[in-house]
Amino acid sequence: MSVGLHVSVDRLGTVNKPLLKALSWSVPPGAVCTLMGPSGVGKSSLLGAIAGTLSIVSDGLTPLIFEGSVYLDGERLDTRPAHERGIGLVTQDPLLFPHLTVAENLAFAMNRHTPKAERTQQVKDALQAANLPAMGQADPSQLSGGERARIALMRALLAKPRALLLDEPFSKLDDSLRQHIREWFFRQVTQRGIPALLVTHDPADVADHSRVIQLHHA
Amino acid sequence: MKGGAASVSMVMPMALTLAIGPVLLTALWLALSPLLANTPWVALWQDPRFADATLHTLWTGTAASLLAWVSAGYLLRSAFIRGQTGRWLNRLPLLLATPHAAMAIAIVLWVAPTGWLLRFTSPWLTGFDTPPFWRTTQDPLGLGLIAALWIKEVPFLCWVAATQLQREDVRRRWQAEFAVAQTMGLTPTAAFNAVVWPQLARVLRWPFIAVLAYGLTVVDLALIIGPTAPPTLAVLAWEWLRDADAVLQAQGVLAAWVLAGLTLLVGASSWRPIIRIAPFGVMGRAIGGGWRLLFMLYAAAWLALLVGGFLGVWPFPNVRPEQWHMGHWGRVWDSAESLWRTVALGLLAATLTVAWLVAWLEWVPHRWQQVMRPLLIAPMILPPLLWAFGLYRVALWGHFEGAWFGMVVAHAIMAMPFALLALESVYRASDPRLQAVTLTLGRHPLQYLLSVKWPLLKRALWSAWAIAFAVSVAQYLPTLYIGAGRFVTVTTEAVAQATAGQRGLMSAYAALQTILPLMAFAVAVMLGRPRRFMKGLP
Repeated sequence: MSVGLHVSVDRLGTVNKPLLKALSWSVPPGAVCTLMGPSGVGKSSLLGAIAGTLSIVSDGLTPLIFEGSVYLDGERLDTRPAHERGIGLVTQDPLLFPHLTVAENLAFAMNRHTPKAERTQQVKDALQAANLPAMGQADPSQLSGGERARIALMRALLAKPRALLLDEPFSKLDDSLRQHIREWFFRQVTQRGIPALLVTHDPADVADHSRVIQLHHA
Repeated sequence: MKGGAASVSMVMPMALTLAIGPVLLTALWLALSPLLANTPWVALWQDPRFADATLHTLWTGTAASLLAWVSAGYLLRSAFIRGQTGRWLNRLPLLLATPHAAMAIAIVLWVAPTGWLLRFTSPWLTGFDTPPFWRTTQDPLGLGLIAALWIKEVPFLCWVAATQLQREDVRRRWQAEFAVAQTMGLTPTAAFNAVVWPQLARVLRWPFIAVLAYGLTVVDLALIIGPTAPPTLAVLAWEWLRDADAVLQAQGVLAAWVLAGLTLLVGASSWRPIIRIAPFGVMGRAIGGGWRLLFMLYAAAWLALLVGGFLGVWPFPNVRPEQWHMGHWGRVWDSAESLWRTVALGLLAATLTVAWLVAWLEWVPHRWQQVMRPLLIAPMILPPLLWAFGLYRVALWGHFEGAWFGMVVAHAIMAMPFALLALESVYRASDPRLQAVTLTLGRHPLQYLLSVKWPLLKRALWSAWAIAFAVSVAQYLPTLYIGAGRFVTVTTEAVAQATAGQRGLMSAYAALQTILPLMAFAVAVMLGRPRRFMKGLP
């Protein structure tokens, strides 16, 4: 099995109704692969299956079942719990923890055994990279939509994921911000050399030279 | 944590169910056994007081519950329309902290022939130089009992509504629907009655049944302020249960089952109509006054309790006593053990209740929860007499009557439904996406609970804890029975002094009964308040 993210879907859906069938693709390190398709086709569910959070997000609804495999750098991940997969997730809503400051949100993602001085430095660097150096002690609700999106991505990256899933992270941003944030996101992914999977409705979100997979109802 | 808890998926639900289910079911089963004998049925039927006591019970319980229902609806509407739900509903714990028995004692202090009301108006208005021979408390019509129940149950119904309105998603949806209804030409009152009230009333239906059950089956309150000739059926049942004669005891259990039947009968027949009873639709102008009046009534009750404990010689119709003294509080302090026992019981029972409930809501599958929920709610619906009797038999069987373990478990069981009401909907409304994000950050599911979910729910968790503490403090029958007479608490003392007519002592104990839950609510507010972030950042 080659390096990068390799996903193979035999079947994804409820017991009675499949959403996706017979699908397979790979994303090399540092590349962004885009998933597109109509609403309800199962794009977000597919990301949940890859991240290992499918049962959480569908809790209380009809359970979704994933049959297939997820390999990362040759290692099979779909049999592992979500917190052991090393796959980061950034969603449409940035989902910053409202009871923590911006800096604490960032620090939350870091390894607990990292020395304090190093943690502080990494948080500072992340705030700098997000162009928000003075907002460490701020309430997350004080941030604008674009600022929150940048912090959410930095938080996901501070966990040092081996792959990144982006679930429409630009859809709630103003057009004026969107282009800038998008380029910043892709730059971060490329710099870290990790494979990323982007779900979007908007063709403008597709990264240059990015592979696009069009999903259809099964 | 459903996704990450596969390894404990069956062990935890089984352990949680076994920790409480068998106790509840056995208690009910043991309370059922006297139903099989013929003699107690005949004795109950032939008792000359049975029919009148049943009528008294039906009248007082139903009237108080309906009054509470309509009043709560009116208050909720006024708060919702004026956008003051947060303002009023956040203060409800102040009112909930006052136990029923304490409220009854306060009413006695106000309306008794030697009470404050007549002192303030005599002789200049009434012409009385001596107390009149009126039966203003323990009156034959049960009006005092109805008043006490009414005043106590309105905040309870409003508080259950508050647990819904504090959910951001529900509040926003109802506000949007309310606004849309007004754009269709409805007045605010009509819009509330048409779109918000039917949804709110559906949520309040079970709590209404709980109010009804309490009104029909309460013992301590009825002992203090209820009719005496004959008393309510619950008081009669309690008297029979205390008798050494086995037939009379069985008769008492049967009477308690009759009360359960009455609750189900009245509850079932009012199930549909109550939703249609919209809050009064014509009192638009007086809309803000209701909440103030409610808080003023409670303030008057607290004043009477607080002052009542210091009263010395106080001839009628003087408004001020000739003598103030600390004697009553001194006697309370002499038996301080009952105070520490009440506090310790409350702390242990409340902590056990919330810990069990959180584990149950977190780790027990939803379908399993739905099956077991009626059993958890049952202590709020079925007469406390039945639980006291059943749990006592369980305690006898397990040799833990009069022991701390039995007392804590009994109090926790009685507090469970109320804590469940406080916690359940908020707990279920937790955003599962936060869990997904936490796990994808490499954090263990347990860290999600400890660092994200529970800290975010701390207000609801502490609120449920305070409610459970308040319920524990107010327990009368379970304390008497499972405590086997060896557990004297502030509440058992308050009721004992009230029935003995010891005005000063009963006031002091009733004040303590109120102060303890108030302190618990204060702690809950302090520990549950949301974090304050630094202000003035760019």
